[in-house]
Amino acid sequence: MLTELLQGTDAGGFLIIQDSASYSGRHLLKSFINAALNREEAVHVLGFEVSEEELKDGLKGSPVQRLHFHNAYTDPLGWTDQPSFTVHQFCLEELTRLVKQTSHPKPATLVIDSLSWILRHVSAPAVCKTLQQLRKGGAVRAIMGLLHVDMHQRGTVGSLCHLATSVITVAPGMKGDEAVAKITKRSKSGKVVQDEEIFSIKTDLTVVVQSKPSQLGHKQADPEEQETDPTANLTFNLRLSNTEREAKEKLALPFVFSKEKKTALLHSSPGSGRILYEPDANDDYDQEDPDDDLDV
Amino acid sequence: MAAPVSTVGKPSTERSPFNTTSFQKKTRTKLISIPGTRPSVQNGQLLVSTGVTSLDYLLGGGLAVGTVLLIEEDRYDSYSRMILKYFLAEGVVCRHELFVAAAQDNPDDILQVGEEVPYFPRLSCEPQDSLDAMKIAWRYQNLPKVQSALASSSRFGHYYDVSKTMEPEIRQAAKCHCFYLPEHPTQSSPTHSTMLESYSALLKSLQEVINREGFDVAAPMTKSRNILRIGLHSLGSALWGDDLSCHDNPRNGHALTTFLYGLRALLRSSLSVAVVTVPSHLIQVSITRLCDNAIALESFKGSERETNPLYKDYHGLLHVRQVPHLNCLASKLPDHKDLAFKLKRKQFTIERLHLPPDLSETVSRVSRGELAGAATVASACGSGSSGKKHLDF
Repeated sequence: MLTELLQGTDAGGFLIIQDSASYSGRHLLKSFINAALNREEAVHVLGFEVSEEELKDGLKGSPVQRLHFHNAYTDPLGWTDQPSFTVHQFCLEELTRLVKQTSHPKPATLVIDSLSWILRHVSAPAVCKTLQQLRKGGAVRAIMGLLHVDMHQRGTVGSLCHLATSVITVAPGMKGDEAVAKITKRSKSGKVVQDEEIFSIKTDLTVVVQSKPSQLGHKQADPEEQETDPTANLTFNLRLSNTEREAKEKLALPFVFSKEKKTALLHSSPGSGRILYEPDANDDYDQEDPDDDLDV
Repeated sequence: MAAPVSTVGKPSTERSPFNTTSFQKKTRTKLISIPGTRPSVQNGQLLVSTGVTSLDYLLGGGLAVGTVLLIEEDRYDSYSRMILKYFLAEGVVCRHELFVAAAQDNPDDILQVGEEVPYFPRLSCEPQDSLDAMKIAWRYQNLPKVQSALASSSRFGHYYDVSKTMEPEIRQAAKCHCFYLPEHPTQSSPTHSTMLESYSALLKSLQEVINREGFDVAAPMTKSRNILRIGLHSLGSALWGDDLSCHDNPRNGHALTTFLYGLRALLRSSLSVAVVTVPSHLIQVSITRLCDNAIALESFKGSERETNPLYKDYHGLLHVRQVPHLNCLASKLPDHKDLAFKLKRKQFTIERLHLPPDLSETVSRVSRGELAGAATVASACGSGSSGKKHLDF
C-alpha cells in the first residue's frame, strides 16, 4: 500500500508521517517529495526543521526546479527585520498567497516539515482549522506533513490524525536499513484499510517494499499442527470395516425410544403426566420367591 | 422534565348550546398525535424512533422527546456517522424538521441518507423438518434457538438501505436547518463566558430556530405540532475550536460541558430530540453524566480484536453508558451488557454477544490463546515453545 500512496494521493488528501526519536521519517518524506516531483507536480515545502541544502540533498535533476522551498529554518519566529517565512504566517490567506505566487498549471502539493514545530507555537485547534480550510479550498491539491509523536500529547496527535486521510507510522525494523511502516488509509466513502509493511529507502530516494512482517509469526504455528497420528501404530484394530459399521448402526441402544414414543413424549410434554409403560423382561418378578434370580 | 403528554392538550370545557342537561362528560386530555411518535409503555413519555430499531429497544422503546442521546464515536467515525444518518433519515420519513450542525463536513454531506426500504423480518423459529432429528438429545428438539437479536413486539421505526441514497425530492420535502461552522459568521462576544464562540453561536442558532418555528412547549397551539430532530456532529473536536481533545489540561475545559447543559435546558422546554456525537477517544473528561442517554461504539477495525474468531460476525462492540432517569427514581437497565453491532446493507443490528459452545478441543485452545494475546510465553516448566499449546495441567 506504500507504493500506492507514493504514486499519488487523491485531491484533498492529507498525509501524515508519524515518526519518533528511534527512526526519523524525513527520508520517507523526501521519497514522497521525489515521487511528486517526478509526476511533474509543483511542490511547496515549508521547512522549519532542516535547511534547504539538507532537504534538497539527494533530489537531483530538472524536477528540482519545481520544488519551492520556503525558508522557515533561519528565522521562524520573526526576530530579525526581514524574515522569509515565520510560523505566524501559517494561516489560510498567507499560505494561499504563497502557493499562488509561483504560477503553475496544476495545483501544488504542500509539504510541511514539520507539523510538530508549528504545533509548539500555534494552538492545535488553529492548526487543525487551517489544515481543514486548505484541504477544502482549491489552492493546494494535497498536503503532506511530518509529525513527531513523542513531542506531543496523545490528544493532539489523535486530533490531527483524525483529520488525515492517510497516516503512516514508521518505526525501526529488525535489520539495519529496514523500517516498518503501519499505514491507515481512509477512503472518501468511509472505508478504512490498514496495512503493515517493511520497506527500505535507496540512495536515489526510491522506496523498496519488502514482505509484510505479520506473516512471519503465523508461519511458525503451522508446522506444529502436523503431528504424528496417535492411532497409527497400534497393536489392536481401531478401524471398522463396512459390514461392522452397518451392524453398529443397526444396533438398538437400550434407552433409545421408538419414533412414535418420542413424538408422543414431545407433544404431550405441557401439563399432562402420563406414565408410559412398556413391559420389560426384567419386570417379571415373582413376589413369592425372592431368590428367583439367583443362579445357583 | 421532558414534554409530558398531558400538558399539551387543552381540555374543552365549553357547553354545547343544545345540551339540555347540565351533565358534562369529563373529556380526557387529548393525546397529542404527532406523526412518528408514540407514547412509551413504561412511563407515558412521548418517544421517537432513532432510526435503528435495535437501538430503540435498548433505549426502552425509543428516544424520549426533550432528551439528548450522546454517541461516543468509534476511532474512525464511521459507525457513529451512520447512526446520525439513520436518525436524520427517520426524521425525513416521519416528516419531522431537521437541524444539522457540523464543523468538519458540510451538513449536506451528512444529509445524504439511506433510502427507506420495507423490511420483512425473518421468522425466528424454524420449522421442525429442516432440523435433523436429534438422536440423543431429542427432548430438546422443540426448544427455540438462542435469541440473540434484540427486538420488541411492536414495530416502530423504519429500515434503510445504506447502499442507496434517498431521493432528493423526498429529502427536500423535509425542512432542514443547517449550521456549518466555517460558513457561519463569527461574532466575537465580549462577555466572559466559559463557552466558546462556536458553541454559543450554535446554541443561539438553535434557540432561534426553536422559537421561530414554534417548537417551544409554551408557544400557543396555533398549528399542528411537529418534532425538531437535532444532529450535532463531532462536538468537542478541534475543528469546533475546542482544545478539549488536544490537551490533557485544556484551557476551555468547561466549554463543552456548559454547552451540553445549555442544550439540555433548551430541549426540556421544547418538542425536540438531539443526537450528539463526540470523539471520546480523544477526550479525557467524561461527559456521559451530562446527557440523558449515552452509548459508546467500539469498532474492531484496526484493533487486535479484529482477528478474534469470537467477533467475526460483528463490526464492533456497543456499550451502554447511561440510561435516562426521566421523572423517575430508577430506570430500566438493559438486561444484557455484552452487545455487539453489525452493519448490513439493509439493517444496523445490535445483538447480544453470546459465546458459541466449544465444540472441539483445538477450537477452544485457539480462542483461549488469542484472547490472552500472548504470542510465545516463556515458562519455567515448559521445554520448548512448540509443545506448550497442547499441554494443560
